[in-house]
Amino acid sequence: MASIIHMGREDPGYSFSAAPTAASANREHSFYPYVPNPSPLPSNSPRYTDNGGSTLGIAGATFTIMAGDTRSTSGYSINTRYAPKLFLIGGTGTEHKSARIVLSVVGFAADGHALAERLDTIVKMYKYQHGKDMSVAACAQRLSHILYGKRFFPYYVQALLGGIDEKGAGALYSYDPVGSYEREQCKAAGAAASLITPFLDNQVNYKNQYVPGSGSGLDLQARQAVPLPQQHVETLVRDAFSSAVERHIEVGDGLQMMTITVDGIQEVLIPLKQD
Amino acid sequence: MGGFDFSNHSRNIALHAKGVPLPQATSTGTTIVGCLFDGGVVIAADTRATSGPIVADKNCQKLHYIAPQIWCAGAGTAADTEFTTALVSSNLELHALSTGRKPRVVTCMTMLKQHLFRYQGHIGAYLVVAGCDPTGSHLFTVHAHGSTDKLPYVTMGSGSLAAMSVFESKWKGQLTRDEAVKLCSEAILAGIFNDLGSGSNVDVCVITPEKATLLRNYIQPNQREPKMRNYRFEKGTTAVLSEKVITREDISKYVTVHELGEDGAAGTGEKMEVDT
Amino acid sequence: MMFSLGTSIMAINFRDGVILGADSRTTTGAYIANRVTDKLTQVADTIWCCRSGSAADTQAVADIVQYHLNMYAITNNAPPNTQTAAAIFQELCYDNKDALSAGIIIAGFDHRHGGQVYSIPLGGSLHKQSYAIAGSGSTYIYGYCDANWKEGMTEEEGINFVKGALGEAIKWDGSSGGVIRMVVLTAKGAVRHLYLPDNGYTGPGSKPIS
Repeated sequence: MASIIHMGREDPGYSFSAAPTAASANREHSFYPYVPNPSPLPSNSPRYTDNGGSTLGIAGATFTIMAGDTRSTSGYSINTRYAPKLFLIGGTGTEHKSARIVLSVVGFAADGHALAERLDTIVKMYKYQHGKDMSVAACAQRLSHILYGKRFFPYYVQALLGGIDEKGAGALYSYDPVGSYEREQCKAAGAAASLITPFLDNQVNYKNQYVPGSGSGLDLQARQAVPLPQQHVETLVRDAFSSAVERHIEVGDGLQMMTITVDGIQEVLIPLKQD
Repeated sequence: MGGFDFSNHSRNIALHAKGVPLPQATSTGTTIVGCLFDGGVVIAADTRATSGPIVADKNCQKLHYIAPQIWCAGAGTAADTEFTTALVSSNLELHALSTGRKPRVVTCMTMLKQHLFRYQGHIGAYLVVAGCDPTGSHLFTVHAHGSTDKLPYVTMGSGSLAAMSVFESKWKGQLTRDEAVKLCSEAILAGIFNDLGSGSNVDVCVITPEKATLLRNYIQPNQREPKMRNYRFEKGTTAVLSEKVITREDISKYVTVHELGEDGAAGTGEKMEVDT
Repeated sequence: MMFSLGTSIMAINFRDGVILGADSRTTTGAYIANRVTDKLTQVADTIWCCRSGSAADTQAVADIVQYHLNMYAITNNAPPNTQTAAAIFQELCYDNKDALSAGIIIAGFDHRHGGQVYSIPLGGSLHKQSYAIAGSGSTYIYGYCDANWKEGMTEEEGINFVKGALGEAIKWDGSSGGVIRMVVLTAKGAVRHLYLPDNGYTGPGSKPIS
């Protein structure tokens, strides 16, 4: 076959795709010893690691509270007791001033970091190009597209995006690793999500609670959920985490909590148990 | 007749081949340690039991009684440490009765290693055996496959590396009782705070030729944080779909009825242990 | 994870008897579970063995052999020969070769045959040798031993031979390390030796076994 294609033409005698036949001479300036054939990662070696931890977001009438523990783990080891899972998006300068959107990521921390940096850059570029802040709704859809863009080599994270919508109400979006998303009132993600979610169902949406004396048997009236005040939600979040710490080994060390309002973002760090 | 029942073995192999996962045993992803001192031996353990990443018990006891002067700290599969130590404890008691002598720590260690070797590591018990007998104070480790070591200070379990780092930097010969207790607790604390499989409290057992002293929850560095909100539900919050009242007269036809005390606790029964 | 004695062990004949030698490292993967292990195990009054392979397997085998030799001594009212001990070791290692991972060297002294060294590698075969080396670290010292071996060495020469060989094995084999333990078996009985890495394996030296 090859002889037909190259018929009447001189073989160049070299190719960029062919493997080198002789090792190149030692280069003058290099920090690492010369490796003839750097071997690729073994195909079975892990590309992802689960760094544990949990996150939580609750949207109120005029605020959104985002929270996450600060422990980073691998297996039975603690990598660090302070690795933030909450990232300010679209702010200016190193202090991220004027940011009104918070991204929380739990799962593979390195992917989480890369994702936060990507989204931050995009939201910043939007502001420079359009001269106005990106809305949370727009940011939320953009994040979905970023995640789906890596459909076949996903960011191994469960993300939550919190902010204030264009009507001034608290907004919270939750994501799966490949970009499926929806707006929610409250959401727990990560290692202790299964522990925190039923607590939230009961205490935020009043699931399984009925109004005492409102009827008998099946006529009993379910307790209606109402928008909760900021102070109330803060205590719920702290209790959710202090409880998760008791029963999940990957959750602990510190609780990072951000409260987003139209006036700005307030951050607090509360110690959690270290065992 | 005692022993294991293997009648479900073939069935379980078939189920497993069809993709049914094996039941998960509670493992005591643990830190346990032991240390000899002048005139006795100390063993210590954390109190966390886990099932995967979930804390199954926040205050379990991993220090097991074997004989009055022989105690054992267990790591690995909780059921295996529990039953293996209980079996050896029983056999050692019978042995002591038939020989009319106090049981020896080597005897205990040999019974454990022979039992575990027979099961080729399938019994997942990792033990620190310690005690005093007429031949002196002794400290051993016994691994699930049946190998044993005799050392002046030992650690085992998932937190063994954290704990060993304490021993390798602070241990010295001719320790006093109090120094040994302090060193062992410190090693357990290293496990509690640096190993996710270990947590909660420190249990210590000090054994001297005179007596064995169990110091349950010797250090409690992880007190539960009080909740910020009150989670008592108003009476009537839970839906009641049907109601049936059985009178005391009716039920006493079938069972004996006891009058409860003022506080609601049963007058005769033991009070249930509750985490506070 | 199985506990294994990724080991350097050896035993030699010398003019007055035999010398057994071993490093002291026991590992689980990369972790050193015991850095002062005693891999030289007594199975009869003047018969000892060096253990390599699985710690659990070799301890169990040595315990069983010790029991048999004890029974032999009682029933025959005479101590067992080194060859007898080696034969019992072989029977256990050969019959259970599918279940065991044990490489054992047997060395003993008796007044009829003097010092003798036997080696039982993984399959369970038995080899009488003038000296034997085994364990993962032994691969590094075949050359050393071949170059330095002499028949009929004095005790001092023998100790230096073993110490020199094990020193090299420990140096090159990552699974071997810690201290060097030795047992010198002669007509006068058994004497234990200990050499620490702290002083370049020069001491503290020997101590008679009580």
